[in-house]
Amino acid sequence: MQAYKEVVVKTPLPLRILPYLSVAVFLLIWELAVRTGMIPSVLLAPPSQVFSLFIDKLTQPNPDGAVLAVHAWTSLQEALIGYGLSLLVGIPLGLAMGWFRVVEGLARPIFELIRPIPPIAWIPLTVFWFGIGLAGKVFIIWIAGIVPCVINSYVGVRMTQPTLIQMARTYGANDWQIFCGLCVPSALPMVFGALQIALAYCWTNLVGAELLAANTGLGYLITMGGRLARPDIVVLGMVSVGVSGAVLGFIIDCIEKRLLAGIRR
Amino acid sequence: MSRAIANETVGISGGREGFSFYRCITNTWFLYCVSLSVFFLVWDRVAAWRIFGDSLAQPLVVLDKLYELTQIRFAGTNLGGHIWASTRRVLIGFSLASAIAVPLGLCMALNRYTNAVVKPVFDLFKPMPPIAWVSISILWFGVGEFSKIFIIAIGTFVPCLLNSYNGVRLVEPELYDVIRVLGGKRKDEIIEVCFPASFPAIFAGLQISLSVAWTCLLAAELMNARDGMGFLIKRGMDTYQPALVLGGMILIALMAWLSSLAITLIERRLCPWKTGIENL
Amino acid sequence: MTPSSLLPRLKIHCEAIDKTFIQKGHVEVPVIKDINLDVAENEFLVVLGPGQCGKSTLLRIIAGLETPDAGYVLLDGQPVTGPGPDRGLVFQGYMLFAWRTVLGNVEMGLKLRNVPRRERHAVARRYIKLVGLEGFEKYYPHQLSGGMKQRTGIARAYANSPDVMLLDEPFGQLDAQTRMFMQHETIRIWEQEKRTVVFVTNNIDEALFLADRVILMEGKLPGRIKKEYVVDLPRPRDHGHPDLLRLREAISEEIALVL
Repeated sequence: MQAYKEVVVKTPLPLRILPYLSVAVFLLIWELAVRTGMIPSVLLAPPSQVFSLFIDKLTQPNPDGAVLAVHAWTSLQEALIGYGLSLLVGIPLGLAMGWFRVVEGLARPIFELIRPIPPIAWIPLTVFWFGIGLAGKVFIIWIAGIVPCVINSYVGVRMTQPTLIQMARTYGANDWQIFCGLCVPSALPMVFGALQIALAYCWTNLVGAELLAANTGLGYLITMGGRLARPDIVVLGMVSVGVSGAVLGFIIDCIEKRLLAGIRR
Repeated sequence: MSRAIANETVGISGGREGFSFYRCITNTWFLYCVSLSVFFLVWDRVAAWRIFGDSLAQPLVVLDKLYELTQIRFAGTNLGGHIWASTRRVLIGFSLASAIAVPLGLCMALNRYTNAVVKPVFDLFKPMPPIAWVSISILWFGVGEFSKIFIIAIGTFVPCLLNSYNGVRLVEPELYDVIRVLGGKRKDEIIEVCFPASFPAIFAGLQISLSVAWTCLLAAELMNARDGMGFLIKRGMDTYQPALVLGGMILIALMAWLSSLAITLIERRLCPWKTGIENL
Repeated sequence: MTPSSLLPRLKIHCEAIDKTFIQKGHVEVPVIKDINLDVAENEFLVVLGPGQCGKSTLLRIIAGLETPDAGYVLLDGQPVTGPGPDRGLVFQGYMLFAWRTVLGNVEMGLKLRNVPRRERHAVARRYIKLVGLEGFEKYYPHQLSGGMKQRTGIARAYANSPDVMLLDEPFGQLDAQTRMFMQHETIRIWEQEKRTVVFVTNNIDEALFLADRVILMEGKLPGRIKKEYVVDLPRPRDHGHPDLLRLREAISEEIALVL
C-alpha cells in the first residue's frame, strides 16, 4: 500500500473559541445577575460564593451536619452497592430471559408490572421495610438500575444471529452450550451498553431516594439547603451531584471501552 | 421417489405441534398465568401473614382503598381529581419542554455555530439529575403549581434535545445528495429530508422524556403537594397506610404506561413508514 | 448533409479531472487522476471497474455533487458548478425517502420545482408506469423488493426529465436473476425515453449487455481510464453472442493484467 500524504484540516477559529466563550459568558452573567441584585440573593447564589462554600464545606460540617466528603462518600456507597447489585441480578436475569423460554415466561410479566413504576415511588415502602438507613436507598437504586440491565441483556441475546445458532445446532451443541458459548458472548456489547444507562438511572434515583429519607448524602445536602433557604448549599449540592455523576460515567465509559476492546480482539 | 415422500412426511410431523406435558408447561401464555398468579398469591400471603408487620397491604385491600377514594373526597377531591392534577402537571411541563427542546436540538444539529454556543452550556447541566432541581425550584417558585411543572420541564428537556440532535446527525448523508441532484436547495434538504428522517428519533426522545416526566412529577409531589398521585403516596407514608401507598404506586404506573402507549399510537399514526424500518 | 450533423453531438466533456479525498481527517487519498472523457448525446456509456477505483467519484463529479481538484466538466458546453435537475442520479443504495410512498418519491423532483400537484401526479404516474410499478403508487419503500425499490429510484430520476441519466451501480444489491431482468428493463426504458446515460458497474456482462461504449478503469487508486471498447451490436443482445464473448475475453484479460 502506497503511503498517503498527511494533511491537517483546521476547524474555523470561531468554532474553536465559541464553546469556551459561551461557558465563560454563562458564568459571568450568572455571577453578575446575582451580584447586581437582578436576581435576589435569597433565590440564587453566584458561582464565586458557591466556590467559597465548597472550600468551607471541605472542613466545616455546619449547617447540615457533615463535611462534603462524608455526603459524597455516603451517596457513592449507596449508588455503587445498588448499581453493583442491579448488574449482578439484572444481567444474568436478562440473559436467561432471552434464551430460556421458561425463564422468560415466568419473569417477564412481573418485570412488565414493576417496570412502569418510577423507582422513587418505592420510597415509602422501603422506609416501612428498612427504615431510613442504607438498605432502603440501595433497594431503590437497585430497582432503578435493574431495568436497563434486563432489557439490554435480553435484547442482546435475542439479536444473536439465527444462522449461528443453527450452525451450532448442526455441530451438536446443546441448549446450555449454545447459551454460554454463543448467545452470551454475542450479547456482550449490548450488555456493556447497559452499564452506562444503568449508572445514569441509579445516580438520578439516588438523589430522589435521599430527598425524602436520609440524614447524610448529596441529595440530603440539597434538601437541607432548601429547608434552610440557603441557595448556595443547594447549588453546591447540585454541582457535586452533577460532577460526581459525570466522573462516575467517565470511569464506566473507560471500563466499557476496555471490555469492548477485549472482546473485539 | 419413495425417499422424497419419506422426507415430506418427516417434514410434516416435525411441523405439527405435538401435545405433550413438556410443551404444555413451556407454553408462553401458561407461564405468564403461572407467574402472575404466583406473584399476586405471594404478595397476598406475605401481607396476610404479616411477614413485614403491617407494612404491606393485600392486593384486594389496595383495590378496595382505590375504590373508596373514587367515592369520597380525600384532601379536597376524589381519585379522578388527584389523577387529573398530576396528569395536568406532566402534560404542561412535557409540552413546554418539548416545544423548546426539539426545535433547539434541530437547530444545534443543523448549525455549527448554534451548536458551539449551546452545547457546552447544555453539557454543564446534562449530568445533573432532574430531581436535584426540586429544592431550588421550591426556592424559586414556592410550593405552587409552577415549581412542579418546572422540574418536569427540566427533566424532559434533556432527552428531548439529545434525541432530536442525534436524530438529525444520524441521517444518511446521501439522502441530502438526492435532494440536491433533483434540484433542491438547502431549505428543501431540511424540510424534505432532515425533519422526516429524524422523526423516529424525536419520538424515541419523547418516549424517554415522558417516563422521566412521571419520575420528576413524583419527586415534586412527594416533596410538597396538596393533590396528585404523589400526594396520595406521601400521605400514605406519613399516616402509615400501606394500602394508600400501593394504590398510588399502581395508579402512577398505570398512567405512565398509558401515556407511553399514547405516544406509541401517535407515532404509528404520524410515521406509517417506521414499522418497516424497525422490522428490517 | 453536412458532416457535422452526421457526427453525434457532444453532451458531456470531462477534461483532465483530478480528485483527492481526505480520509480520517488528515490523510490525503488521490481517488481519480487525469480523467478525460467525452460522452455523445443519447449514448449509453458504461464505466467498468472493480470496487474502489474511483468510478463512483467520477459519476458524482459529473453530477456536480463533488468538485474536482483540477480539470472541469462541460455539459452542453457549459461548465458544471453544482448538481442540477438536468442530470438525474440513481444511487446504489436506492436512497429512497422512507417516509414517502412510491408516488411521493417519484414526484419529489417536480415538487421541489413547485409543479402543481395535479400535474406532477400525472407525470409521476406516467414514469411509474414506464418502470412497471403501476398499482404500487401508495406503497412505502419498506414494502417493496430490492428490484422494485430501484425501479422507483429510476422513475424518480426520470420524472425530473433530465438530459443525462447517471446510474451508480444501480443493481449492485440485487440478486443475479433480478439483476438480469432489470438490465432488460433498463434497455427497454432507455429505448422508450432516449437519454444520455452514464452507467457505472463492476460487472463485465452487465457492461457489455448495456453499453454502446465501455470505459475500463484501472483497478487501483488513483483511478485512471485504462482502455475503451466500442460495443457495436444491435439490442436486445444475447449474452452468448460470439462478438460479445470475444470482447468479454479481451476485457477479462485486461483486468487480469491490472490486478
